[in-house]
Amino acid sequence: MAFAIASRRTLAPTALAAAILMAPVSAPAQTNYAAEAAKNPGAASKPTPRMADGHPDLNGVWHHFFGIGTIEKVGESFVVGGAFSPKSGALYNAPLNDAKPEYKPEFAAKVKSLNDSQVREDPALHCQPPGVPRLGPPHQIVQTPKQAIFLYADSTGNQWRVIPLDGRFHGTDPELAATYNGDSVGHWEGDTLVVDVTRLTDETWLGDNGLLHSRKLHVTERLRRAGDTIQYQVTAEDPEVLQKPWTLSRTLTLQPDALEEAAPCVDKDAGHYVTLEHHDNTR
Amino acid sequence: MRGTSRLAWAAPAALLYALPLLAHHSFAAEFDATKTVTLRGVVSKVDWINPHIFIYVDVKDDAGKTTTWALQSLPPLFFRGSGLTKDVLLSNKQEVTFTANPAKDGSQAYGFLTKLGYPDGHVFSMSPQDADPSLRKAQK
Repeated sequence: MAFAIASRRTLAPTALAAAILMAPVSAPAQTNYAAEAAKNPGAASKPTPRMADGHPDLNGVWHHFFGIGTIEKVGESFVVGGAFSPKSGALYNAPLNDAKPEYKPEFAAKVKSLNDSQVREDPALHCQPPGVPRLGPPHQIVQTPKQAIFLYADSTGNQWRVIPLDGRFHGTDPELAATYNGDSVGHWEGDTLVVDVTRLTDETWLGDNGLLHSRKLHVTERLRRAGDTIQYQVTAEDPEVLQKPWTLSRTLTLQPDALEEAAPCVDKDAGHYVTLEHHDNTR
Repeated sequence: MRGTSRLAWAAPAALLYALPLLAHHSFAAEFDATKTVTLRGVVSKVDWINPHIFIYVDVKDDAGKTTTWALQSLPPLFFRGSGLTKDVLLSNKQEVTFTANPAKDGSQAYGFLTKLGYPDGHVFSMSPQDADPSLRKAQK
């Protein structure tokens, strides 16, 4: 057989990890932010490059989504590594300490219901774009004096956002439809790029766990480069469903390798779910 | 032998190694970790898609009838920079031995791939035991 019963020594930590990961909402999120930081030692204390206009230079590849798993070549074989290797697993389980959004009491039951059947209800699990803010921090940034382009190779497919930096306001045409990534405008506050996002569809969630929102969602992203890192902070305000604004933070590290085009997303799982175990993909 | 196929069921405890991986993508909602199917066939098609790639293997039974198994594997972004591509999987026309966890819903010839083994001994494996020789020694 492919799998022999492991010795107690090797089985124990794996079984423990399995037990932790099988737990529903309280499970620690597996991400590769810490592993990416390890690829660029001392990144935060490196010099911060600047553009000709004096603003910090945010150009670069900053994150690879789904980097929690890696396939590694060992001799002629290919084996799974990353979060699933006993040697490197801990790096991918570094806690993010994300706060949970606080919903108004009248929405609590709906959020719980969506969360309980997340595997069936989650739009992003079934190939719909996650939308802003769930899409997460930019994977690559292309910056010019008048606009920034955020690129994403997401599991739901390739995503992009064009963020004008020329001082314009949000479009006010009532005919403009709400979209997954909304209407973004950016400006500099000192060395921090602030991106203001409106006109977001309510067909998305704020995160993995049934986190619904309304059309009143307003998102603010703040990006501050320090050396070869970016402190990324995103705040979601939705006075219709949330009791107070919800903020997440991520530390991004400049990566040496190029962003790779995401494969198309085709949902082949939907018809096969028998039970309702969670399927989190923390971004 | 090309004309034979073999079906085997593993002990539940044997699959604990795979669980951290599988838990991540709600494996348990869809596949039965307590069962393992072992069969031989030839990789005939690969769907390089999110959220998980699919590898299709044509399996011939003793009567010569071919059944194509659809084997779910890992997210395509896991393979970034690994050298394991759709072309690599398709170019090897040798018969492979694969193990998979079957679907809980009873779907025939549908499972989660745990290992592809080639005649020359090389594998594409979900098991950390194949990545780390010290783990292999420990279980003997």
